[in-house]
Amino acid sequence: MFLHNVNPTVKALTIIGTVFLLAFVFDPVTPVLYIVWTVIVTFLFGTFKKRYYLYYFIPFTLFAFGMFWTTIVFSDTASGTTGTVSFLGMEFPTEDIWTAAALGLRVLAFASLSLLFLFTTNMVHFILSLIQQLKLPPKIAYGVMAGYRFLPMLKTEFQQIRAAHRIRGVNRPDSWKEKLLQYQRFAIPLLAGAIRKAERTAIAMESKGFTGAKERTFYRPMKVRRKDWLFPVMMFGMLGVTIAFSLYFGYFSWYDGQL
Amino acid sequence: MSQDVIRVENLTLHYEERKKPVLSRLNFSMEEGENMLILGPSGSGKSSLTHCLNGLYPRELDGSMDGEVYVQGRRTVSYPAGEMAQHVGVVFQDPETQFCMITVEDEVAFGLENLNTPYESMVEKVEKALSWVGMEDYKNISDLSGGQKQKVALACILAMEPEVLILDEPTANLDPVARKEFIQLLKKLKEELSFTLLVIEHKLEGWLDLLERVLIISEEGELAYDGPLHDHLKTYAREIHEMGIQLPYATRTALERGWTPPYPLHIEKMPSADLPANPHREEPAGEVLLKAEDVHWKSILRNINVTFHEGEWVAIVGENGSGKSSLSRILAGIQPPGKGTVSLHGRSLKKWKENDLRQEIGYVFQNPEHQFITDAVYDEVAFSLQHAGMKEAEWTRIVEETLKFCRLDGLEDQHPFLLSQGQKRRLSVATMIVEDQGMLFLDEPTFGQDEKSTSDLMSLLKEKHENGTTIVMITHDMELVDKYATKVLVMNEGEITFDGQPERLWSRSDLADHHLELPPREQWKRSVLKRKEPAYVSS
Repeated sequence: MFLHNVNPTVKALTIIGTVFLLAFVFDPVTPVLYIVWTVIVTFLFGTFKKRYYLYYFIPFTLFAFGMFWTTIVFSDTASGTTGTVSFLGMEFPTEDIWTAAALGLRVLAFASLSLLFLFTTNMVHFILSLIQQLKLPPKIAYGVMAGYRFLPMLKTEFQQIRAAHRIRGVNRPDSWKEKLLQYQRFAIPLLAGAIRKAERTAIAMESKGFTGAKERTFYRPMKVRRKDWLFPVMMFGMLGVTIAFSLYFGYFSWYDGQL
Repeated sequence: MSQDVIRVENLTLHYEERKKPVLSRLNFSMEEGENMLILGPSGSGKSSLTHCLNGLYPRELDGSMDGEVYVQGRRTVSYPAGEMAQHVGVVFQDPETQFCMITVEDEVAFGLENLNTPYESMVEKVEKALSWVGMEDYKNISDLSGGQKQKVALACILAMEPEVLILDEPTANLDPVARKEFIQLLKKLKEELSFTLLVIEHKLEGWLDLLERVLIISEEGELAYDGPLHDHLKTYAREIHEMGIQLPYATRTALERGWTPPYPLHIEKMPSADLPANPHREEPAGEVLLKAEDVHWKSILRNINVTFHEGEWVAIVGENGSGKSSLSRILAGIQPPGKGTVSLHGRSLKKWKENDLRQEIGYVFQNPEHQFITDAVYDEVAFSLQHAGMKEAEWTRIVEETLKFCRLDGLEDQHPFLLSQGQKRRLSVATMIVEDQGMLFLDEPTFGQDEKSTSDLMSLLKEKHENGTTIVMITHDMELVDKYATKVLVMNEGEITFDGQPERLWSRSDLADHHLELPPREQWKRSVLKRKEPAYVSS
């Protein structure tokens, strides 16, 4: 699919760029339109389990709503209000609602953009692309990759340690002090194991001739091809269109010291 | 005259934190294409020698290295970092921690990338290396079994085409069938490719046909012997054994029975006269202790119906991933079953209070470190007693008895993590028998243990069993099953496919399908029978 084939670095920079620009927009209409666009692009040009996308979206929605709610509840009393809006049986000044919605929707816009990246990018390809396009030092990049492999191992090990400790009769801490002690007990075998594993991996990598040197060839060459530029053109272009649309209908506003 | 690929002169290695040298005045050399075995008890600096040979030391060494190591006639210290990998490749012991990539292909390519191999030839080399080890159809490393991971690790090294291949206890973490397969694969590769092979081991079983020359390193890190393997073993097996090196079954039995040298090396060469009788297995007359009915769990276990009686010694065997650990955890009440019931003394485990249940059933995990919760051996054993609200005079007596029983007396103040492998294992057992639990589960208790600690552990368990403890043990070691178990359960794809006495299992013809092999005693018996059969057909 198109999105999966876009060069990961180009994709990441595009996402960062749009997020940066959206951060200066301070009206609710522009982000709403852009969210719709981003979600459509993600679903049309990406292949993934749609259900998981929704699962991932839920916490962001809650966060966005929290942002919206705290902004209207804790805002200063607006001066020179043009009217009030009734929401959940309470009256709020229109400006406050407007500002709060802008803030909440901005969070969702950032979320939809991040999810676009997350759901259509292979982690390994992203790291390889960072090495090849952005000259990330291989020492760091391959270290991150090895660590990425460790995560599931650490998880199973944690579960095993927890079960093993339960057998010893140290379950169900009653106070926070005991809880702290319990996590301390988990930490020692977990750390001891992790350090030993990391050391062995490092030795194995070095034995295969890894020196961290920047000169190396690549089994998966990540190149920026001409069609990769379609994605930034599309995303920035649409951002422009959205802004133009809100401007035309008079909704648009830059961030200008509101709040 | 062929050139020495490796030459070691007067190699002495000191680690900073240790007074005595790890390796002391080693001298040896290897010719091109030679196959050599390095034997030594654990702690004799075998792995340190690997690091010296592939140039990792002295670069990464905290300590000092004296003497010279030459690879292809050139001192290892004069090679630029990274270039050594073209000459000396190492496969390490632990299959889990040798990789830094997600997929098999990427991992094999990683070494080639480090060597700046051009893209086109890299693709070809990756493909070739994977086909050598027969792993071309696999994708994610995390989905592989231990044996498959070791094959991939081997492919990674072969792809770089080093002149010397070093295998550092490559099969220590594999089950016996995977171990056999790996050695078989090496044998095949050795015929097809030309490399100098150096295997480092403390276990001899399986390597005899592949390696001609042996270098024995003593516990002090000195060279104890350098020469032909077979002849030496046939005469000096006892000395080698006393160093803590695990001998093949035939040789070990010869020593136990006091046969005179030359000792047999293979089961086929064992005399028919001394064949032992089948071990005496008592039918447990005890009552029903634990019973599982219609147990299912996720997609891992299906239709589990099994009964354990008091006084049984049950071995659970089967391929990795067949559900052995999951089953034992559900039976021990660590994990509730998805469907079905497990009952102890006729009462469902759900109705037992956690603390009461732990006084009935103990469980020894595969990694002993996971179970340690205090900072001293003594506290470790005392922990559950103290928490049970026992009088001090009483628990101190029990702790001391238990420590003595598990041969941990004298180590009371040690930190559990600083014990040796064998001591750690015995301590984890000690913590699980201190409340005099009637039933004890052990998940691969002899895994990664050397021969001495295995036999220490088994005699400890045997004594416990004779005192009435019911033992359930997951294992791959058929010799242990044959020697101790009164009953075997075979697991296959989440189901129990066999439940009965070991003898009945040995007589089945589909053992190989379950990734099982015959115990050596049974192999011996069969080889004797075969010899007696007159040969009707000449081949």
